[in-house]
Amino acid sequence: MEKKRILLVDDEPALTRMLRLNLEQTGRFEVREENQSTRALATAREFRPDLIFLDVMMPGMDGDEIAEHLEQDPRLCQVKYVFLTAIVTKRETGRGTAEISGQTFLAKPVRREELLQVVDDLLGL
Amino acid sequence: MTPSILLVDDIPSNLRILYESLNGRDYRLLIANGGAQALEIARRSHPDLMLLDVMMPDLDGFDVCRQLKADPATATIGVIFLSARDAAADKVRGLALGGVDYVTKPFHPEEIAARVAIHCTILRMDRELASRNRQLELVRDRILSSMTEGVVGLDAGGQVEFANPAATALLGAAMLDLPLAAWQPPDLSETVGRVLGGQDQFTVAELDLAATGTAPLPVELRVAAINARPLPAPASPRPPADPAGQPHPGGGDDPADAPGAGGAVLVVRDLRERQRVAAALAETNNALRQSHRELKVAQMQLIQAAKLETVGQLAAGVAHEVKNPLAVIQLGMDFLEQTLTLDQTSATVFADMQQALLRADTVVRGLLDFSRERGLDLTPDSLNRLINVSLQLVRHELVQRNIKVITELASALPEQPFDADKMQQVLLNLFMNAMHAMERDGTLRIATGLHRLRDEELGPQARAAGFLGGDLALRLLIEDSGPGIAADHLDRLFDPYFSTKPMGEGTGLGLSVTRNIVNLHRGSIDIGNRDSGRGARVVLLFHADAAPLPPTRDGATSIAAAVAGEPAPATAQSVSSPPTEVPRGEETHPAGG
Ligand SMILES: Nc1ncnc2c1ncn2[C@@H]1O[C@H](COP(=O)(O)OP(=O)(O)OP(=O)(O)O)[C@@H](O)[C@H]1O
Ligand SMILES: [Mg+2]
Repeated sequence: MEKKRILLVDDEPALTRMLRLNLEQTGRFEVREENQSTRALATAREFRPDLIFLDVMMPGMDGDEIAEHLEQDPRLCQVKYVFLTAIVTKRETGRGTAEISGQTFLAKPVRREELLQVVDDLLGL
Repeated sequence: MTPSILLVDDIPSNLRILYESLNGRDYRLLIANGGAQALEIARRSHPDLMLLDVMMPDLDGFDVCRQLKADPATATIGVIFLSARDAAADKVRGLALGGVDYVTKPFHPEEIAARVAIHCTILRMDRELASRNRQLELVRDRILSSMTEGVVGLDAGGQVEFANPAATALLGAAMLDLPLAAWQPPDLSETVGRVLGGQDQFTVAELDLAATGTAPLPVELRVAAINARPLPAPASPRPPADPAGQPHPGGGDDPADAPGAGGAVLVVRDLRERQRVAAALAETNNALRQSHRELKVAQMQLIQAAKLETVGQLAAGVAHEVKNPLAVIQLGMDFLEQTLTLDQTSATVFADMQQALLRADTVVRGLLDFSRERGLDLTPDSLNRLINVSLQLVRHELVQRNIKVITELASALPEQPFDADKMQQVLLNLFMNAMHAMERDGTLRIATGLHRLRDEELGPQARAAGFLGGDLALRLLIEDSGPGIAADHLDRLFDPYFSTKPMGEGTGLGLSVTRNIVNLHRGSIDIGNRDSGRGARVVLLFHADAAPLPPTRDGATSIAAAVAGEPAPATAQSVSSPPTEVPRGEETHPAGG
């Protein structure tokens, strides 16, 4: 089976690296990191991911701004995305993720199992 | 106007001399050849001056003068006596009868002319003075009768000399007829009497005549002019006290022997208008007090909100800064756990690290929770039910610590709007604090009830929240048998991060969060020590008549409003926290710990 492609957008390189290591370690995903929020859209067009992780609060461009652009882009509007946030607490996201008006949120700090669970759910694996 | 002068003598040659002395000098000269004729002409022609011979066969000059003065119509005629009798006694007698001058015969025509000229001048000035006086009196009378204040003139003996219409209306004619000593109420006559008698230093007396029979109205009475001469008031309904008072139109009398010297003028004011104004003022004052109180509450809420705003921004910043590294560590550890084969020691190290991580996350989450206590989801609920549910959650720990719980929950408390989740947070915070203070063994007493507040029992927080003595409040008391609170800690309890617990065990946010939630319910929380025995005492007050606040949906449960600084998706406002987080409802935990 072809590996699913996942794009990680967060201004913290250490965090995207940890996310990538955990995802790649399963051997099921091809992962790309992007730490410049303003380059996120260009990278997405080039990398053509199946799933994007978006940090909500970033310098330059916020996660929800990027999401808006994704939805308006005919080539990217089918791509699933998940918000990563430090502000939504576990209590609000329930266990792991929260659906907020159709958007999926993942609260930091996120555990490896939660991460993999969300990915599987969204990619229908 | 040319002065007219009546010349009176029974001897024609004398008359001619008089006539010739004055003729040609701009006088109108009249002549009478005897006393009777003099009176007749005087009554008919009203001369200004009369040169009157004393010795006349029919009626002597003194008799003529006496009759003139007795008749008001002729009393003002100036009389100059002419006589060969030059004894001092005669002159004195003539002047005493009201004569203005006494000239002895034989006289020099020039002297007569000069004296007459002087008296004419005096007469003219007198008249001018009198007419000006009359004008002034008219003005004064108009002022007096148009005044809404009553004016009463008293003589030194306390008799009313005059009163204007307002005074008569206010005090009543009956009272003004009485001498001062008989005025009601007695202290009125006493006060005025003291002032009249000059015994007292004060010059103003204010007296309320509300209770008097004679004065049906509440009036204020002021002694306005002490020792001033009372005004004779022609327009007054009161006749002068002395009817034989000198009717000098010229008013040239000396104040010292005027009948009213040493008297006083009283000013009487109708107090009804003032009372009406006072009542209106009191009403306005009450309204002001009320709105001041509302303002104060609103202000407290604003300050609270502002504080939360700052803390909210701070919390968001801190959360962001801390949660990212936490996430890195967490995922890093998870990754290493997957890839490394750990020996026993390394596994323990990992477990410890995981524990530490969880604790750090808990602290940051507490901070976030703290920052977003700004809105409530209110539904009618019973405080007693909330207490029972919260107690269930700590029952296990209470039993373990051997702490006895005494609940005195008033039955039939009305339901009030509460945010059940938030109130449980409050109650748990307070129960946990009490448990931690007692450590092991002890008694936790919880009492509720409707309570009429006494002013002296209001704590600073209750006052700040706008509670006043006399208010009806729903009160919750939580007392423990722990060590209580040190005096120098009392006013720091609600400060964020104030904690006496060892590092890592207490965030010091419990009570700040608690107070915020209670305040959002328009309630207050005061913490002190018990009056008797050891331990802390927590008093929560809620308005018993708490009008349901408009439910705030954009507050605590919304992500958008939760933290300024992180723009959340605009549509996220309707999201609420999962209701399954905290067990609620008695069904799940049968009461009776
Ligand atoms: N019932 C009590 N008896 C004695 N001291 C108390 C009591 N309740 C509170 N305190 C004091 O007030 C301090 C602040 O309480 P607060 O609930 O705000 O924070 P905490 O209990 O220290 O921390 P946390 O609530 O996070 O566990 C406590 O550390 C303690 O010193
Ligand atoms: Mg506490």
